[in-house]
Amino acid sequence: MEKLQDRFADIGEFIPQQDDDVIVCRCEEITKGEIRKAVHEGIFTIGEMRRYLRNGMGLCQGQTCGKMVKGIMARELGIRPMDLTPATARAPMRPMEMKILANDRSGD
Amino acid sequence: MKRYELIVIGAGPAGLSAAIEAAKVGMEVIVFDENARPGGQLFKQIHKFFGSKEHRAKVRGFKIGEDLLKEAEEAGVTVQLNATVVGLYPEKEVNVRIGDEIKHIKGDSVIIATGASEAVVNFPGWTLPGVIGAGAAQTMMNLHHIQPGKKVLMLGSGNVGLVVSYQLLQAGCEVAALVDAAPKIGGYGVHAAKVSRCGVPFYLSHTIKEVEGTDCVTGVTIAEVDSSFQFIPGTEKHFDVDTVCLAVGLNPMSQLAEMAQCQMEDNPKKAGFVPVADEYGRTSVDGIYVAGDVSGIEEASSAMIEGRIAGISVARDFEYVSEEEFKEKVEGFEAALGSLRQGMFAPENRGKNIEKTEEGIAVSKNLLKKGYLEEEVFTFPGVKKIKGLHPVIECTQNIPCNPCQDACPKGCIKIGEKITSLPDVDENSQCVGCGMCVASCSGQAIFLVNEDTGDGMGTVTLPYEFLPLPKVGDKGTALSRKGEKICEAEVVDIRTSPAYDHTSLLTMRVPSEFVMNARFYTG
Amino acid sequence: MRIEEHPILGKTEERKKVTFTYDGKEIEGYEGEPIAAALKAAGVMVHRHTRKGSPRGIFCAIGRCTDCVMVVDGKPNIRTCVTPLSEGMTVQTQHGCK
Repeated sequence: MEKLQDRFADIGEFIPQQDDDVIVCRCEEITKGEIRKAVHEGIFTIGEMRRYLRNGMGLCQGQTCGKMVKGIMARELGIRPMDLTPATARAPMRPMEMKILANDRSGD
Repeated sequence: MKRYELIVIGAGPAGLSAAIEAAKVGMEVIVFDENARPGGQLFKQIHKFFGSKEHRAKVRGFKIGEDLLKEAEEAGVTVQLNATVVGLYPEKEVNVRIGDEIKHIKGDSVIIATGASEAVVNFPGWTLPGVIGAGAAQTMMNLHHIQPGKKVLMLGSGNVGLVVSYQLLQAGCEVAALVDAAPKIGGYGVHAAKVSRCGVPFYLSHTIKEVEGTDCVTGVTIAEVDSSFQFIPGTEKHFDVDTVCLAVGLNPMSQLAEMAQCQMEDNPKKAGFVPVADEYGRTSVDGIYVAGDVSGIEEASSAMIEGRIAGISVARDFEYVSEEEFKEKVEGFEAALGSLRQGMFAPENRGKNIEKTEEGIAVSKNLLKKGYLEEEVFTFPGVKKIKGLHPVIECTQNIPCNPCQDACPKGCIKIGEKITSLPDVDENSQCVGCGMCVASCSGQAIFLVNEDTGDGMGTVTLPYEFLPLPKVGDKGTALSRKGEKICEAEVVDIRTSPAYDHTSLLTMRVPSEFVMNARFYTG
Repeated sequence: MRIEEHPILGKTEERKKVTFTYDGKEIEGYEGEPIAAALKAAGVMVHRHTRKGSPRGIFCAIGRCTDCVMVVDGKPNIRTCVTPLSEGMTVQTQHGCK
């Protein structure tokens, strides 16, 4: 679990790439360039990235883009995707309206 | 709080199988599934499965699904549909959304069998309507009887990409190309060969550069990539298509396991981020088990056995079966699972470059790179020049499958003890032309051939699963393994039978010189 | 296009026809099939436009990706690929809001 990336590691400058404007997170319309730039701004974990850019925070909850985001961040940091601190899995696993979330029954 | 002895999350092949085993020995089981129908992805699988008799080989996926549901009902398994598990905790407390309510339910044990979701890749234009997952294509055509598109480009040459391409052809769609960034085909060679002979071109070491369109897909450009997957300038190819289908793998849907604080691992052999589990599906959290794709991507056949193992393990751990009963059952399941995990495509061989078959024959490079066999077809034991009518078995990779051996009433086909061995055709046996082997082959790799009927002509009988079915007397064209028109052909026989299970046997007459090359018929 | 007869699945069974409106136009579909299936059969590709204005349609077809959401009977964010069609439904292209 604790794989915190060394925040003093030199990952170089942000260098624009040709495909930076391609969408990664379909729900929140976050591009590859935005994710790469955020890494250079100091966002080194998936959890932080989700809070910072809202990638993976839309209706599908990162089910579609999760692996791609992981790959892009790892490449930018020069580490293996598996060495990236994963996002925390927490309830609710599926998006739902607040009124349903609030309609909490003990389970009869 | 409602309490169950066992809560199963997911009513797919693994979850249902687990629930059946546990319920059969008297456990009180409930299965939650977020979908409106049970069966997971099984009901979209209209092809015949590989394996042995014990794995229900040569039975189509949706039929296996129907049987599984029946078995679950008989075992007294309760399946609650439209029930989304939104939370799972180490204490085996399950939060499930049913209708407009969140319910808290406690299990003495929980089996997570949530399966997988489709992986994606992105490229300019990938959010346009018309770019869809391969699973979406299957859902549309095989469940809802709607063509996903008129003209489709498939990205991904794994078994999903190959099988869905063939299913698109069966649904009457045109498949413009099958593209993969990898330098070789990922799925079974027999699946590739049946797509190739229909005339679908394969582009290996190619990927999508851009999808074009304003409101929806109107075309796609692919280009060749080098060994580090960078585009090679000047290699672009354009296709006018209305649909682009992504079949680039599956990701285990393991978030619930993570949430329940199961120890997780990123394991390339399991194709993703999965809970660590022992051979019985037990995770690091006491009382929480996993089965099926959520614990590592494999086939539905393996998922069903893994489910049964997890189900009977829970029953053992809660003392519903004795140690002896458990051992007896689990040994049978493990043997079945072990035989499915053999051969070139076994999980342990993922990423390996296999040059030779178990028999020591060089693996066909053509099949891996182009999707079809050429002259090397004659180096395999199933392909022999024999006088008179005989089967020709173009099965050239070691995969765990053997129904053809039992299909032949005359014993012409031999695989032997090892399920992955290549089928061997006996030079001296008496083929009666019943065609059972042709229909039994899930890979559609068996043909009945008579090289010379005495007049300079010969016949080829091939499996045919398309509509409209040609009629006896129809004159058309024979296609090669590559899908190229090679000669005129006359349909001399069409056979259908319940025993063939929707595979028709088409016999065409072609000049003798083309008999060993003609592998498909078009009107 | 609908598949009337399939080599493996046979003839598509008879189902009850229903009428619904799509952006005010009357369209026919079959009762109980996903709204998305009826729209696809009618040639509708665009289900919504994102906040940034890009068109979206069916992507996963099993209710996971939520790209196919539309306004159904006045309610936004309805996953049309898993919501069964019924007589008289009002289906509208969704703009923004997801």
